[in-house]
Amino acid sequence: MRYLLYFLQKRYIYFLFLALEILSLVLLFNYNDYQNSALTHISSGFAGSILNVSNDVSEYFSLRRVNRILAEDNAKLHSNRSDAFYKADTESFFHKDTLYKLEYRYISAKVINNSTNKRNNFLMLNKGHLQGIENHMGVIMGNRIVGQVVSVSNHFCWVMSLLNKDSKISGKFKKNNQLVNIEWGGGNYQIGEVKEIPKHVVINIGDTIITSGNSDIFPEGLLIGTIDHFKIAQEENFNYATIRFATDFNSLSFVEVLIDMMSKEKENLKKSFKTNER
Amino acid sequence: MTIIFLKNIGRFIFLILFQVLILNNIQFSGYINPYFYIYFILLLPFETPHWLLLLSAFLLGITLDAFTNTFGLNASACVLMAFVRPFVITSISTGTEFMPGHSPSLKNQGIKWFTYYSVILILVHHFSLFYLEIFRFKEFFQTLLRVLLSSLFTLLLVFIAEYLSYPAKK
Repeated sequence: MRYLLYFLQKRYIYFLFLALEILSLVLLFNYNDYQNSALTHISSGFAGSILNVSNDVSEYFSLRRVNRILAEDNAKLHSNRSDAFYKADTESFFHKDTLYKLEYRYISAKVINNSTNKRNNFLMLNKGHLQGIENHMGVIMGNRIVGQVVSVSNHFCWVMSLLNKDSKISGKFKKNNQLVNIEWGGGNYQIGEVKEIPKHVVINIGDTIITSGNSDIFPEGLLIGTIDHFKIAQEENFNYATIRFATDFNSLSFVEVLIDMMSKEKENLKKSFKTNER
Repeated sequence: MTIIFLKNIGRFIFLILFQVLILNNIQFSGYINPYFYIYFILLLPFETPHWLLLLSAFLLGITLDAFTNTFGLNASACVLMAFVRPFVITSISTGTEFMPGHSPSLKNQGIKWFTYYSVILILVHHFSLFYLEIFRFKEFFQTLLRVLLSSLFTLLLVFIAEYLSYPAKK
């Protein structure tokens, strides 16, 4: 026993080192379980308030571009208003039916922290639980996709952007609806990878890739990007291409969080299927 | 003693803010992101006890992690770096050159000693940081390039900081 204590005393540095390393690795790998824990709450609140101040300053520099985007969005919305349409069939407009039900709601949020230079990039937005944001909600800008909410505190939320090794988006070719997977391989933040393109699909440079709507996160038809370059594989079963993202991740300032009003219903449906299966 | 203590706390806060507010926003083609905040560990005084070295490195890393939402990533790299620091110092020192109460510096230890010292420690930190972040060997060489370029840039910043804090003699 005495020798054990002596040994511990002599080598305590090694044990301290191991303890701290293990602690940090546990934090790192259990990160996903940690999302809603108190630690994240406190730190995103505190770090968030500092980043908020920093962003208030840098916001001024992008006002010009933000104005332009707002003007564009306004124009788009105006052109979607009912008085912008020619009413050929007036009856359908007065039809009181239940054909249309609100499926997605949009919450505008400001990006207060963003990175594009790491292998795994995240955004912080200034909206949180109190504004109705929850995990796994999609984040878009206009009709372009940005990422997915992975962690929420009361006033802020963390968004895993497309520029992350864990982010995998199900997309499809706009021209023929062929499904593909979109990932990001690091390096240039404008270029991503398109994987699992079936051999028979004819690829052209400039083909548009949109979201497939197969995942619960994004609705169908959001713009992901255009084909930048492609390679016909000789031996493998799938071709490979690179994609130029439609979103400019380096200049995000205002984004929208998508709230799926029917997500509960969809989840319940899935659950009931699973329980039936057993 | 108290002055050294306060000086280091001030440096801690300054380096964290500098890293979070300025360096993390720098964008050079996705390959270069300097982690200058580890200058804090490089500059801790020589006779800092090993356990304090480890604990302050952990604190430094976890604070930065809170800002980048990568809990444990920077902390583990910093702890590893702080752990090897005394071994690096003993292995490259000839034994006579440092005085009590001093921190490693370009001026006191000479350019050769200081370059060895900081290159080894920066590489240790950046290697563990970048490979932990990736955690796969698929992009091995791409990550290696990122490690080397970023280390070079961090080293450059360390040298600039050294020259700024100890101006050349008239």
